[in-house]
Amino acid sequence: MSEHIIELADISVTFNDGQQKVNAVQDVNLQIDTGDIYGIIGYSGAGKSTLVRVINLLQLPTTGRVTVNGQQLQTLAPAALRQARKQVGMIFQHFNLMQSRTVLGNVIYPLLGQKISKRDRQAKALALLKLVGLADYADTYPNKLSGGQKQRVAIARALVTDPQVLISDEATSALDPKTTAAILALLQRLNRELGVTIVLITHEMQVIKSICHHVAVMENGRIVERGPVAQVFTAPKAPITLDFVETSTNVRAAIQRITRTIKLSELAANQELIAFKFIGQATKKGVISQLSQEFKVDVNILFANIDQIDGQNVGDMIAIITGDITGFNAAVARMADQGVHTRLIDEQVVKGLSD
Amino acid sequence: MAALIPNVLQMKSEFIQATLETLYMTAFSAIIAGVLGLGLGVLLVVTHPHGILADQPSYQILDKLTNLLRSVPFIILLAVISPLTSYLVGTTVGTTASLVPLVFGIFPFYARQVQNALLDVDQGIVEAAQSMGSSPLAIIFRVYLKEGLPDLIRVSIVTVISLIGLTTMAGAIGAGGLGDIAISIGYARFENDVTLVAMVIILVLVFVVQIFGDWLVKRVSHD
Repeated sequence: MSEHIIELADISVTFNDGQQKVNAVQDVNLQIDTGDIYGIIGYSGAGKSTLVRVINLLQLPTTGRVTVNGQQLQTLAPAALRQARKQVGMIFQHFNLMQSRTVLGNVIYPLLGQKISKRDRQAKALALLKLVGLADYADTYPNKLSGGQKQRVAIARALVTDPQVLISDEATSALDPKTTAAILALLQRLNRELGVTIVLITHEMQVIKSICHHVAVMENGRIVERGPVAQVFTAPKAPITLDFVETSTNVRAAIQRITRTIKLSELAANQELIAFKFIGQATKKGVISQLSQEFKVDVNILFANIDQIDGQNVGDMIAIITGDITGFNAAVARMADQGVHTRLIDEQVVKGLSD
Repeated sequence: MAALIPNVLQMKSEFIQATLETLYMTAFSAIIAGVLGLGLGVLLVVTHPHGILADQPSYQILDKLTNLLRSVPFIILLAVISPLTSYLVGTTVGTTASLVPLVFGIFPFYARQVQNALLDVDQGIVEAAQSMGSSPLAIIFRVYLKEGLPDLIRVSIVTVISLIGLTTMAGAIGAGGLGDIAISIGYARFENDVTLVAMVIILVLVFVVQIFGDWLVKRVSHD
């Protein structure tokens, strides 16, 4: 088995809708390790749904190679491709369960037409229903289930063929926060217990933060940033990544709220509005109180928040500093390698937020 | 009774005969047109540019053919199609001969109804089936026809009721039936009670079909 279970090389997808050409995915290269939980985040229309459909060739790429588990999918004959698809389970935002079949019937579906006895099929499906905690609902029809239960059935159905990869296409986007957390915990458990590689796409930071190890950020059909989740989200480089981080930590809303009540132009010459970010160990030290004593500055904290990203603490704070701001700024700048980052909030930043 | 429907009472056996003819025409043409219409309807869905076996040229041909057949008025179709009828049945008149125009009159209509019913099957479910490695044939039988069953029954009922309507015109080529009695006896001889009773029997047939269909839909629906 290769180290990368999924390899997408130079993938582009172009939709030719009559006169208009839409480049849904452009020049994407992506390797996903066996056993990883890989998140792809982006706003709607970023091309992430199209990109994951390339993984099981539900979407044929215009150019590029798709290799899953060592098999280059485009070279396969239709029957072999269908067989290969059974190695990649998929769950969807709207569950896509068959209304005409019972819960058990839905989970059995992928096994129909395979050389397995009826009894073995049922046993296999029941075992998976048990795994997702829905064994009691085997004879129920999907319309009687809640959203979370439907997604559990869909997960059981996606896993009944023992796939190596599970693709989750916005699988928690139609669920409430509590159910979302439960489904994510289930996915995490299945990843641990079955070793199934999970590729999940979402527009919610929270989903990425809670279970993903790696993340790719997509914008306009391209991957603009990627890496380990903690790294990408604590030190975002692309503007869109920063956007996701600030939205999820509420920093953006806080800056907007604060600058509505406190006019930047009304700040005195020895005052500044500043945003801090503390990463890792820095969240456990008294950085601010140390500095305020050293430079005799007043620190008026207007917003503070601490968050956990892939097990690492990340703190945000917005404050007005009054006093020797030149000395203070210089001291803070020297602390970057200790995980303290600052950003002066001026008119330009505020203007950027309202765009 | 005798005062209300004097003429009807004198031709009881004709009424029984006509009712049987109507049932015969409806049942047989429904079965044949059902198979043809279902097949054409499925083909229209799967060959559609967004279908699972997308094939633009085939779709265009089937689509135009369906429209063409649907635009011929039935009373004209009865006459126009007589060479084919003669070839298939050996005669152009009579109850059995009427099956050919009836089938051609109704199956394109049914195909469109089937197409619409199957297009209502959630595309997401079809996509899910594809992601699970289902073959096109498996998707047709295990997804489209199974998920679309309640709607298929509904449109079949609508079609059978339309078909009962068409059989009344088949009297024009000597096929008999309740429509024939209503026109060539009731209307032609000013025996209004005959026309009225023929109509009532047809209404009863329609109601029975409708009630049976509704019951069946209720039985197979789970949403």
